[in-house]
Amino acid sequence: MAANFWTSSHYKQLLDQEDVDVAQPLDREKGITVEDYKLIKMQMSNYISKLAQHVKVRQRVVATAVTYMRRCYTRKSMTEYDPHLVAPTCLYLASKAEESTVQARLLVFYIKKIYSDEKYRYEVKDILEMEMKILEALNYYLVVFHPYRSLVQFLQDAGMNDINMTHLSWGILNDTYKMDLILVHPPHLIALACIYIASVYREKDNTAWFEELRVDMNVVKNISMEILDFYENQRLVSEERINAAFGKLALKT
Amino acid sequence: MAEVDLSKKVADRYLKREVLGEGTYGVVYKAIDTKTGQTVAIKKIRLGKQKEGVNFTALREIKLLKELKSPHIIELIDAFPHKGNLHLVFEFMETDLETVIRNTNIFLSPADIKSYMQMTLKGLAFCHKKWVLHRDMKPNNLLIGSHGQLKLADFGLARIFGSPDRRFTHQVFARWYRAPELLFGAKQYGAGVDVWAAGCIFAELLNRRPFLQGSSDIDQLGKIFAAFGTATPSQWPDLAYLPDYVEYQYVAAPPLRSLFPSASDDALDLLSKMFTYDPKARITAQQALEHRYFSSAPLPTEPNKLPRPATKRASKASDFNPQEGPTVLSPPRKTRRVMPDREGFEGNANRTDKIEEHAGETKNADGEIAGRNEQVPTSVDFSIFAARPPSRPTINSADRSHLKRKLDLEFQHPE
Repeated sequence: MAANFWTSSHYKQLLDQEDVDVAQPLDREKGITVEDYKLIKMQMSNYISKLAQHVKVRQRVVATAVTYMRRCYTRKSMTEYDPHLVAPTCLYLASKAEESTVQARLLVFYIKKIYSDEKYRYEVKDILEMEMKILEALNYYLVVFHPYRSLVQFLQDAGMNDINMTHLSWGILNDTYKMDLILVHPPHLIALACIYIASVYREKDNTAWFEELRVDMNVVKNISMEILDFYENQRLVSEERINAAFGKLALKT
Repeated sequence: MAEVDLSKKVADRYLKREVLGEGTYGVVYKAIDTKTGQTVAIKKIRLGKQKEGVNFTALREIKLLKELKSPHIIELIDAFPHKGNLHLVFEFMETDLETVIRNTNIFLSPADIKSYMQMTLKGLAFCHKKWVLHRDMKPNNLLIGSHGQLKLADFGLARIFGSPDRRFTHQVFARWYRAPELLFGAKQYGAGVDVWAAGCIFAELLNRRPFLQGSSDIDQLGKIFAAFGTATPSQWPDLAYLPDYVEYQYVAAPPLRSLFPSASDDALDLLSKMFTYDPKARITAQQALEHRYFSSAPLPTEPNKLPRPATKRASKASDFNPQEGPTVLSPPRKTRRVMPDREGFEGNANRTDKIEEHAGETKNADGEIAGRNEQVPTSVDFSIFAARPPSRPTINSADRSHLKRKLDLEFQHPE
């Protein structure tokens, strides 16, 4: 698969970190910062995962949906594209694009079941309308590569595919979707960073195996550091801060 | 001209002209791109009645065509929403290979056939390199541009096949182009299915009529075995393990030469490799391109020198009336490919004749389906309900599971 990642639209669309860390002008006017953006996107990634658990779709669909959502906000404002609608719509679109369609009315049913909050209340027609807008925002590029397959192959190759290591690194990988890594780095490097963290955490020495790979280990280490920073910051994130970020958006009144 | 009345601005940039026909999932218009002056074809995608947003088939096509940019694959130029409908802008193509094959006024030299096959295989090899299966190869989906260049189109059934263990539906391709592993119900298959279909297209170019015109899935296999001999486990070790495997009475293969009297030795050799039963042993699209057939004389005709149908106007109704079952030669999984009405009457007259030869089986079976719902694949085998010739008693129990599986089809998005 790696062979065709390099010719894919995903590769061509990889962004520099500074192009991802932006708040759209309309949102900035409301005092929304890049930090607020990160919190809101994280919250919406969680929302997508939670909703996905109810409608039972593969992890791949979740990952694609989160990627769509994150790509969307590198171009569109949260003021015009309400995250509470964009998130389920991305899940809907990703389910189709990944060939495991979930009906829009099923999503709406579970949204109502999980959240009583008015902010989340959207109907089928809203999702379908937003679907078209998201497609446009994505410039109709729908194919996304994910690190999961490389992760499994790497673990196997390194002889680290025991349940323990697999679970840990897989879990870390899931968490990377709470960040924008997938928009910036090739998937296989993200996979390596997850393995790197997991092996350090489990005190397994894989230096020799990593050295044999023809990859820039500095990049892998940088990604690993980003992930660790994320975990570190995570502990400081309070409910209030998230609410404050959403408060600035003040979407539905 | 009347066309002026039809002209209409679509999303500012495109000047809408006449309707070209009905595609798989909506109306297709001819239009002028005012930005480039280029003629384009715009597919207006109907929104499903089931409140399911952008049509699933259309979405597949968008997804894959955005990744596949090649001179031998139809170009998706643009997409835009307009009045709640999604519109896809494709490069405009003059005709298609089916029209060329059916047109009795066109003589296809061995070099012309080689050229069409080379372009077909180049498009296919490109898809396979990108891990995309086309899954609906047939002459009607091979479009021909104004300079004779052939391009693969209609990716509505196509899929990415990267994941090794993914199971797919075997209900793909129009039946006459379906590989034996699909007819035996294989769920894990690969690029070989497209190569088999390309072989059928090769045969069709040589003989100027569809090669294996089965009237049901069972009959299709019968036709295949009659042409190449019954498949045996020695040729194809996995054969007996396929889900819908049934034993066929052994028939020996007639000499391949007798089926293709006009073909060269190289052509026959390539054909036999494309029609290899075991998909693992079947030649790949890339290997086929490297076959000596393509490097030996006569060399492939330059695309712009290929014979094409005369560009004269004919009655509009003749070609794409979706209800007109009998004029459709390919099994009507969908309505006819959209082609401008430049095809002469001869082509159609010829087509009607041909279909009448098979009217008994093809028309009835397919017509019934088309009447119910245009979207239903023709592969639903209604002929099973009809009386079976008593000569094949082994089939009944297998048919039941066959049918059951078929009723279980992925009808993801009826429109």
